Order: sequence, then C-alpha cells, then structure tokens
Amino acid sequence: MSSIKMFEKPLGMRDTFPQIYEKVEAVRNTGRDFLCSRGYEFIKTPAVEYFDTVGKASAIADAHLFKLVDSQGNTLVLRPDMTTPIARVATSKLLKEMIPIRLAYFASVFRAQETEGGRPAEFDQMGIELIGDNSVFADAEVIVTAMELLQQYGLTKFKVTIGHAGILNCILQDYTESVEQQDILRTLLVQRNYVGFEEAVESFDLPKAKTDALLQFIEEAMNLKQIKDIEKYVRKNDALEYMQQLAKLLEIANLADYVAFDFTLSSHMSYYTGMLFEVFALGSGFPLGNGGRYDGLLEVFGSKVGATGFSIRVDRLLETLDGLANEREEAVVVLFEEEQFEEALAKVQALRVAGKQATLQLRSSLVDEKAFLAYFSEVVVVGQEEVGGE
Amino acid sequence: MNELTIAMPKGRIFEEAYQMLLEAGFNLPEEVEMSRKLMIEIPEEKIRFILAKPMDVPVYVEHGVADIGIAGKDVLLEQQREVHELLDLKISTCYIASAGLPNTMMNEIAPRIATKYPNIAMKYYKGIGEQVEIIELNGSIELAPMIGLADRIVDIVSTGRTLKENGLVEYEFITDVSSRLIANPVSYRMKGDRIIDLVRRLKKCVN
Repeated sequence: MSSIKMFEKPLGMRDTFPQIYEKVEAVRNTGRDFLCSRGYEFIKTPAVEYFDTVGKASAIADAHLFKLVDSQGNTLVLRPDMTTPIARVATSKLLKEMIPIRLAYFASVFRAQETEGGRPAEFDQMGIELIGDNSVFADAEVIVTAMELLQQYGLTKFKVTIGHAGILNCILQDYTESVEQQDILRTLLVQRNYVGFEEAVESFDLPKAKTDALLQFIEEAMNLKQIKDIEKYVRKNDALEYMQQLAKLLEIANLADYVAFDFTLSSHMSYYTGMLFEVFALGSGFPLGNGGRYDGLLEVFGSKVGATGFSIRVDRLLETLDGLANEREEAVVVLFEEEQFEEALAKVQALRVAGKQATLQLRSSLVDEKAFLAYFSEVVVVGQEEVGGE
Repeated sequence: MNELTIAMPKGRIFEEAYQMLLEAGFNLPEEVEMSRKLMIEIPEEKIRFILAKPMDVPVYVEHGVADIGIAGKDVLLEQQREVHELLDLKISTCYIASAGLPNTMMNEIAPRIATKYPNIAMKYYKGIGEQVEIIELNGSIELAPMIGLADRIVDIVSTGRTLKENGLVEYEFITDVSSRLIANPVSYRMKGDRIIDLVRRLKKCVN
C-alpha cells in the first residue's frame, strides 16, 4: 500500500465539478417538477442507518454495504438505497396519517468501496415509492411515471422489461420435481446464466415434456413483445391475470412500444413477490434503474399495506444525456481597481437587478487575465466605457 | 441496423469462433489479417471485432463498450461479472482441476494452493470444507509444487501433457470449461434483435 497523497479522496468517491454540478442540478429540477406535478412529495432521510434494520432489510447484498461502527459499537451502514429508509419512515409514522402515500427522493446512496474503476461508492438516485395501494393501477402508475420521466429528459431510445415473480414461480413449480431444482434454476436466472439453466434442466432427468417446455421457455421468455406469448406455459393464475391487466393499462397509456416482458427476471431478494422491472437506455453500459412491488419489505417493518416504486441512477442517466444543454447563463464580470470599489458595487448590483449573473473582481488580483476573462460572455471595466465581450 | 461490437480473445479461439460465424452465414471476409490490429471493422455486416486478452473480454462486455463477447467459462467463474451468459459454443473445451506431486498429502496446518484462479480455488476448497491459503501466479503454475511453493495447483487442463511432463498428477476435477457467448445486459435489450438472431444462428452451428 502506498501512502495517501494529499490530493486523494477515499476509494470510490468522486468530486462534482461546477459543469457536472449544473447538469445534475438540471436533472434534479426537471425530475422534481415532474414528480411534484404528479403528487409525489419529496423526502430526505439520514445518510447513516443501523445495519440491523435498514442494512439487513435492504435489497443490496450484505457484501456491498458500506459499513461503519458508531460510538456505542453498533454497526451502521451508509444508506444503500432510499426504498428501505422510506419503508422505515412510512411504516413508523407517515402511514398513520394517510394511505396511500406518494413519496419521491433525489439522494446519494452508497456501496462498499471497490478497487475497479467505474463503480463509485457514492452516487445519486432519483425515484418514487407508492405505499399503501395494492392494485395493479399502482404498479401501472409507477411504470408509466418511470417512462414519462425519461421522456421528460428527451430520451426516446429506452426499454422497460417487466417480469413477475409469481409467473416465474408457477413455471418453475410446474415443470420441475422438487424445491431444490426450483432453487437451482432461480439462482441461475438471478446470475443471468442461461447456459447453466439449460445444463441444469438437462441434468435433472425430468420427463421429456417438462425438459422441452423449460428449454423452450428459456429461449423465448427473455424477450416477449406480448403478454399472450407466455400464456401457453402457465396455468391460469392470479399472477398471469395481473400481468394481462398491467399490459392493457400500459397500452391505454400509449407506452406499450417501450415495453418488453421478461419472465426470467428474478431477484435475489425474496420480498420482491410481484411485478418487477428494469430500465435500459442506449448510452450507458449499465441498466438505468429498476423497480417493482415490494410488499414483503413493508412486512419486515411490520406493515401489510403493500408498496411499489422505482429508482433511476442519476450518473447513468447523465451518460445517456450527453446532448444535455450545458449553457452557462449570460455571465458578466465587473473588473475594478481598489479606489473604484463604490462605483463597481453600484454597477454590479444594477446588473444583478437586471437579472444577469454578475461577478465582482479586483483587477489587480488576476494572475492570468486572459484565462480568467474567457469564462465570461461580457466584461465591464469600471471607469471605462463598456468593453465588448470575447 | 445497429452496429454490433464483439469482444474476442486473440488467437485460436478467435479463429474457431470466426469459422463458426462464417458457417452461420455471416458475410465476413474468408481471411482476416491478424497482424497487430486490435480492431477489425466488417462494414458489410455492421460488425466490429475488438481483440482482447481472454481475461479481459468480460470486462469490455460488462462495461458495455462491447455488446457481446466470447469468453472462457473459467474467466466467467473467476470474475463473476454482470453479463448474460447466452450460449455454450463448445469450443476450446477443457476443465479445471487440482494437481500436485504424486502421492503427497496437503499440509495439515496451512495447505497452500498456487493458481491463476484465486476465486475458483477458494470457492472449491471452501465447498469441500478445507481452509486453504492461496498464492496467485500468472503462468507456469506447474512450477509451484515442483519447487515447494505450494502443495497443490488449481489450473485448466486440456490434454494433461504439461502436468505429466513436469511430474505432476491430477487430484480433483473441479469443473468443465468451454467458450461462452456473453452479452452486456443493456445491449441485450437495446440491440436485442441482432443479438438474438446471432445466438439462434450460432446455436445451429454448435456441435
């Protein structure tokens, strides 16, 4: 280990320079206006939570949590997501006032530090939680909101893939012969190891009809344009009806073009009991975000009202928005000499009242006047007549 | 049609996989000049190959700078990256095994394992209830037991000739290895038509 140099930040941490800051701020403002206009209220929770509560309940695997110890010796985590803290606040307080509730956030979340680049330990997430509504309309609202939020940023090349834990479970139950086989297959799907899935199915020595059905399922079920394509694999059940209804609602909302169904979608977390989805867009190598129904998480916190939501990673959203306008407002600098301070102050205040972004700068402090002035669209030198910008 | 970037390992696997793509009916030049080029453009099919070290293929694919890639199962097991494993190409097949000097037992107190695959080795020995110490090497692993650095090695074996020539014997079979077609999760969704078509066509050529 080399010693720490003075300029270094802890592993996985990033600075936000003014240019990026403005972009993030633009994304935040657009998102905030959009979500507020749909009745979602913004909320903030502490950056640090107990490992035993939020840490253990979170969908983020234990090894990926950023852990600390408090002065009493309790293990703490830097919040790994916003869904779990919001579930904590909602069940302990907010749900007593109103059901359902609609909450939104824009906050940084944390992961265990990793040595490989491109895996920040802190990044911003934006999302919503709709808590206390069990209906398919709530799930539809969440998916529609996610898609329309992306449209709000001018994204057109994105895709949402939707699956349902209930349908996957039904298929795995029907075509295998033991719980162990189901677990093996589910684990392989979480790892997205489709080759392993086929190998496992063949090694189970199932009746030919079941083997064939599973092999055909794995070939087709990752990318279904329409919900009716899955119907031949599943018995009529609640999950299927639910998804049929959801598909219809998305069609009514005119967003069916952005949707694909993937019934191999599976989460390592058992509390994703219902619909779940992932959001992809060209421009980022990693998924933009995900969401789903997480009734089980609320149960961990002692409530049975059900909840659904989504989150988008802001850093990845920015990668897909490289065309995002980065115009600096009209920026004026007022240069003055020491004895001209009063005059300069009046000048700069007049500019600010006129709505301009105006900087006041003592001329003799400039080290490289040319480099400094390049940042401004207009330069005013006190005591001289207006001088044009660059 | 979207441009498709394919990460390939240099050398024999590239040649075999390239043959499979030709068989699958892709309009590629019969011969590619392999010289020192790291990127090969095939405008006819809107395909771009990038040539990487075998260990690096999943890195390019996970980060999305390559849409798909061909990677050994050994590398996938070792790195556990977030990629979709779509197809077993059944080329460059071999297996991972442990090996050591004949008729030797592992050290009781601190058995030492030399390997290029620290994660695979650690997981295997954990699985059989054995706590071992790993020594990571980059090549010529067979040296380690010969010279007394480790009790066992964990490495890929294709014919077993290298082991034999160095007086080592195989102890335990760990897992089968072959080349796999992998895909970036975002590319799989956004360029799904092309990738699924490629998988279907290649699947017919796998024997």
